[in-house]
Amino acid sequence: MTQTVTRRRSAEEMAGDAPAWRGRLTSNPAARSTFYVAAFLTWLLLAALFERIPGPASVVDRLIEEFRRGEVFGNFADTFYRFSIGVALSVVAGILIGVLIGLSPMARAFLESPVMVGLSIPAIMWAFLTVMWFGFGHMSPIVTTFLTAVPFVILNVAQGVQGVSRDLRDMSSSYGIPLTRRVRDLVLPAVSGYVLAGVRFAVIMGWNGVLLAEWFGGSGGAGYRARYWYDANQFAGFAAWVVLFVGVIIVLDQLVFEKASRRAFRWRDQTH
Amino acid sequence: MSNPVIEAPPTAAAVTWQEGEVLARRASARHKRKRLALLVAGWAAMLGIWQVAAYYLPFGTLPNPLEVGAEMWDIVAGGALVSDLFASIAKTAVGFAVAGAIGAPVGYLMGRYNYWKAFFHDGVTVAGTIPALTYAVLSLIIFGLSDLGPVLAVALVSTPYVALNVAEGIRGVDQSLVKMSQAFGRSPRQIRREVFVPTIVPYVFAAIRMSFAVAWKVEALTEVFGGTNGVGFQIRNEYQLFNITGVIAWMGLFIVFMLLVERLVLRKLEQRVLAWRPDERAVQ
Repeated sequence: MTQTVTRRRSAEEMAGDAPAWRGRLTSNPAARSTFYVAAFLTWLLLAALFERIPGPASVVDRLIEEFRRGEVFGNFADTFYRFSIGVALSVVAGILIGVLIGLSPMARAFLESPVMVGLSIPAIMWAFLTVMWFGFGHMSPIVTTFLTAVPFVILNVAQGVQGVSRDLRDMSSSYGIPLTRRVRDLVLPAVSGYVLAGVRFAVIMGWNGVLLAEWFGGSGGAGYRARYWYDANQFAGFAAWVVLFVGVIIVLDQLVFEKASRRAFRWRDQTH
Repeated sequence: MSNPVIEAPPTAAAVTWQEGEVLARRASARHKRKRLALLVAGWAAMLGIWQVAAYYLPFGTLPNPLEVGAEMWDIVAGGALVSDLFASIAKTAVGFAVAGAIGAPVGYLMGRYNYWKAFFHDGVTVAGTIPALTYAVLSLIIFGLSDLGPVLAVALVSTPYVALNVAEGIRGVDQSLVKMSQAFGRSPRQIRREVFVPTIVPYVFAAIRMSFAVAWKVEALTEVFGGTNGVGFQIRNEYQLFNITGVIAWMGLFIVFMLLVERLVLRKLEQRVLAWRPDERAVQ
């Protein structure tokens, strides 16, 4: 039983042995920049392999060209106008219906199937139908955005309302906490994160919806312009617009919603 | 301060437990009937709104539910459903398999190593935010009119979901369990199989359920843009003929099928695989 065991070294000791350049190379910023370089090289490689994939140079060319022609701002103004109305409507309607579902089991039984069906209808369907109903104009993208986004808001809000702890609710009522404090300290912190997640979903889904409706609607906007280049077989022009509308949604999602959701979930995430 | 004594309220009539059980059973049956009635009412309201809208919209732009039902029956009876539906399902399944084969290792790396987490983080978040339209048209540009386009689109859209969920599952592994296994001299392979895999299975199911809903929509979308067969291809055909009844009928069949798969296959499978850990199943 007198076996000697080689002493195991702690992780810190091992890390201390490694040279400094290695630590810098494996740091998070280095990893991220490595990723961007790798992704860019992959793009170059793909563009070289397939002639149908436009390379970075031609895409940047097109992008500059589109800005110079003044196509970018006008079309994005149209798209944003439709998108923001659709998303705003879906958030309002979604919160109302979601709260109803979250509070009453009977409302849940009644509304469950419509929401489920709404979730499984793709945006393309709404784009087709609304173009038939409302013709070419603002109405079709707005309604498409609204209809694709609203089920996601409902689901998230309902989940949040159900998540408000029943025990805490009972306790605060038995200790006679005033209603304003109850709403401020119990209901709002529990629900706001879910509402925000719902809005975020609505923005991502609605952005797809508005672009699709514009693609088929033919009344201007970012989606319409992307289709113009696609139909002309100018894939570099299409890719330039992809860069634009993907860039917009990422800026919106990361800068606005990521920050806001960190704030909203602050109370929960602090524990771990 | 002493705790106040809470006295049980005097019951109206002393019932035996058998009577109580009968009452409770009756109440639960009543509750179930009420729920069922509301569920039926939900469907009825949906069809009712559709019917009213069909009546008021200009002729030919929205067929009423009965016409669509008849068209659906024609498609099913004519046998067109089977070939096109299976073409779509096969493409979705292959795309899913590709997504799993790429997403699971990426998720594993992201969950276990900080370096890879930082490496893939931006790419996965960006890939998850890109509108489905982009994936559909890009795969079409790459592969042209072929079955590979929808497969690529499905793979592109589901890979981030798989990777994110697997990564989260790995990070959720109980570290003290891993340390204990190491202390007792278990091999890394055993730890992987007995500790890691069972923990991430629920997360993988969550990933499948989440991306399933998105994946088939993208598949249909890609077929609408440039498929050679499948449900999306049929939808485009009917749209080009301005046959809105046909468009909605195909759509309805696909929705019915997907809901059946979600309810009957995925949920049952999940219950089966997770039968040994009831708490994860309860959290739906």
